[in-house]
Amino acid sequence: MTSNSRQAILDRVRAATLADTDRYEDVPRSYIRTGTLDSQSRVHLMTERLHEYGAEVVECAPADLPHIVVRQLQQSGRHHFVAPPGVPEEWMGNSVSWLIDQNLSHEQIEQCDGVLTAASAGVAESGTIVLHHGPTEGRRVISLLPDFHLCILRASQIVETLPEYFALSSDPPRLATYISGPSATADIEMTRIKGVHGPRFLSVIIVRDDS
Amino acid sequence: MSGPVMDPRFAPPFPEAALPILQNTQLRKNVAHATDVIQAKRNHLVAEKKDWQELRTSAAGIRAHVLANLASYLEEFETNCTAAGGVVHWARDAAEARQIILDILREEKASEVIKIKTMTSAEIQLNPALEAAGITAIETDLAELILQLGEDEASHIVVPALHVNRHQVRDIFARRMGLPQLADDPEALTAAARTYLRKKFLSVPTAISGANFLIAETGSVAIVESEGNGRMCLTLPKTLIALAGIEKVLPRFSDLEVLLQVLARSATGERLNPYNSLWSGVTAGDGPQRFHVVLLDNVRSEILGRKVERQTLQCIRCAACLNTCPVYRQTGGHAYGSPYGGPIGAILTPQLEHMRHAQSLPYASSLCAACYEVCPVKINIPEVLIDLRAQVVDQEREESRRWFDPMYIGMKAANFAFGSGARFRMAQRFGKLGLRLFTGKDGWIRKLPSLGARWTLSRDLPAMPDQTFRQWWTERESGRGKEETR
Amino acid sequence: MRASLFITCYNDTLFPQTGRAVVRLLERLGVDIDFLPAQTCCGQMHANTGFRGEAYSQAKRFVQLYRDTECVVIPSSSCVAMIRDQYAGLFEELGNEELRRQLAALLPRVFELSEFIIDKLGVDDVGAHFPHRVAYHASCHGLRGLHIGERPFKLLSKVRGLELVPVANLDRCCGFGGTFSVKNAEVSTAMLDAKLIDLLATNAEYCTALDNSCLMHVGGALHRRNLKMKPIHLAEILASTEASAT
Repeated sequence: MTSNSRQAILDRVRAATLADTDRYEDVPRSYIRTGTLDSQSRVHLMTERLHEYGAEVVECAPADLPHIVVRQLQQSGRHHFVAPPGVPEEWMGNSVSWLIDQNLSHEQIEQCDGVLTAASAGVAESGTIVLHHGPTEGRRVISLLPDFHLCILRASQIVETLPEYFALSSDPPRLATYISGPSATADIEMTRIKGVHGPRFLSVIIVRDDS
Repeated sequence: MSGPVMDPRFAPPFPEAALPILQNTQLRKNVAHATDVIQAKRNHLVAEKKDWQELRTSAAGIRAHVLANLASYLEEFETNCTAAGGVVHWARDAAEARQIILDILREEKASEVIKIKTMTSAEIQLNPALEAAGITAIETDLAELILQLGEDEASHIVVPALHVNRHQVRDIFARRMGLPQLADDPEALTAAARTYLRKKFLSVPTAISGANFLIAETGSVAIVESEGNGRMCLTLPKTLIALAGIEKVLPRFSDLEVLLQVLARSATGERLNPYNSLWSGVTAGDGPQRFHVVLLDNVRSEILGRKVERQTLQCIRCAACLNTCPVYRQTGGHAYGSPYGGPIGAILTPQLEHMRHAQSLPYASSLCAACYEVCPVKINIPEVLIDLRAQVVDQEREESRRWFDPMYIGMKAANFAFGSGARFRMAQRFGKLGLRLFTGKDGWIRKLPSLGARWTLSRDLPAMPDQTFRQWWTERESGRGKEETR
Repeated sequence: MRASLFITCYNDTLFPQTGRAVVRLLERLGVDIDFLPAQTCCGQMHANTGFRGEAYSQAKRFVQLYRDTECVVIPSSSCVAMIRDQYAGLFEELGNEELRRQLAALLPRVFELSEFIIDKLGVDDVGAHFPHRVAYHASCHGLRGLHIGERPFKLLSKVRGLELVPVANLDRCCGFGGTFSVKNAEVSTAMLDAKLIDLLATNAEYCTALDNSCLMHVGGALHRRNLKMKPIHLAEILASTEASAT
């Protein structure tokens, strides 16, 4: 039945577009593709945007990362963390308890009040953290249920503009989550309230692997 | 209590539907406040974006290109989505879409579904059909939750409960969530919703969503949101059904670099919305293991074939046109009697009804073109409104009732009068005589009959002057001894 | 410089003083004005209400009437917008090659009044005197259709004695919209109420615009509510001198 519908719909669509000869290459694209900022300025802009959203941001040198992670975990006030299977051991420390996500149930993840992930990219213009959900970022559920998300982003992963991010990935990701601030609603009288569903607290460590 | 009628087949015509809303000062204040806030944010970010016009041009170009090649992009999407583990269904109309979804839900033995806001599901009247089949639909967008619990209807595409204020929300939640002590500040209300919905997210195994974009190149679906209920519904359940109009396709993943930029700024005045989610079919171990896409035609293929109207389908549902519309500002969305209100609703709704219903909507506009100016995909809404008005009139030309319609008679008479200078002068003479009856001693007209009464409802009219311009001109020219020209 | 005045159907009938002012003004600026009495209407009212065939016949008359004129000046931005935005589409659908050709040749010679003075005559000081506080209302067709931009402001800024006061929400429609004002009278009135709040906040004595259509709507409410502010077309301000009365 639905295959008849399929044919009927495609036939109608084709009949409606018979005379059209638009080519994809002819779509005008004069918008800004590449940014002009250097790495330092990109990091600065990314930080500014993250702060605008109420996210916490700290920078560190690559060698200092493990100890900064431990410090941020301690300061989070959260005690039960979930982490994706690919996250390096040295990030994890003993100050909090850890569940590694090897097919955890939702209930188990729900018991965790924090999550630690890496990231695939950052877009400075919009303060966006990009997750492609590989082994160091984890399944989508683990960065969704816990209330506190600690995210490790390398400076070398930060681009200035959104088109630059799309230019990075030669192969589109199968899964992606673009986080540009903690969840929010303005549905009640346009008053912005943070944290409806999804983590209410985002903390980012920018690793200065660019100098 | 049932809410406003949002079915175009039964909704009262716009001028009638607007009347009670115009009396509702609270609602008008809420609408004005909400649209002012979003517009201010939007304008600020648009001013900041130096390549805004170039982005608009590209966004319009991409959308127009997709529509011109829709069949091949739909097939490409289907191939890639299927290869990724999704199941693609095709629905010719609303009834078929409802049936497909019900069949899937029955197979799943679903008694409840969690829903992400989708105007498309309101378009196909899905929730009543679910209810009739004994399936509880739980709206998870805060605004949709407010409306569902309050037995109300959406009045805006992006901020559907903008006509409801905090006190009204508090009353609804207190009653329906059993929280009599609930405070009315937005924080408390949002927290109440978070708790109420969390239980559902973690327990209901089936979800229904819409789609902001379908990516042909990868067979992916993109959802743009702020609250996180989308991520919940896309990630936690076992089965996910995405309902999408066939026009939602984009050619390539990278086309999102344009559309996401213009959508967020236009819809909520943000550089990007808090959460954008993209997924392709089914991914082992991550998220729903059964994924269905229901592609909905429902008159879109017909609209596609009309030269002027096709651009209607470029819409990305940002609602910037609603936020800027001076008519919408006064009436909110309910006056349009459709899930799609405001300027886009005025052109989309009657077309979805094959121009058999909602014929008053193309006239619910002063043609100020503010909508066209802000539309991120450059839909020339005034142009479509005018073309739809011509279609409505052409329908009327076939009907005998037209001779009882003062507007129709007036238009035919005026056209006759405009046929020559001599006829026009004659009409001016008759007009002057006729209007004398209604002209007060002070040279003003305060009450006219028939259609004129609609003018004099709130405005006086100056009396017709003693001399028309052309009379003055003729006098002046003969005074100068010039020959009267043809 | 010769120009033919297209007065517009509603100015001719209800606001002849605007036409007289245009004549006085342009003659003062050295323009040789003529008026073709066969003129009636540009077709906008019919086109915008959905009476396309009727609009087409009016558009055809207009194009044929002005075929041989040097310039056409029109004191109404909505009528000019009609000609520029909709005539081509009407002739595409209902006209023929000849008409389309005539239209293409005519379009560059059609001017709204402030466009004519600024662009064609190259003048912004027309020697006017109007010692009053004035608020300028931006008619939508002029604003968005013609991209009239700064032209009316430039002209008003050179009028001696005139105090121009800015209006909040300048780009928001007054609610006239042609037949919208009667088909949706209550909504039109609600929009009018909002516009009046912004206009009255200026404490201006006069409200001016490029279009008497908006002014008829705004002015009609001003009079109904016994308010002091008066509507006046831009032409009448520009035509005023120390020597004359409007």
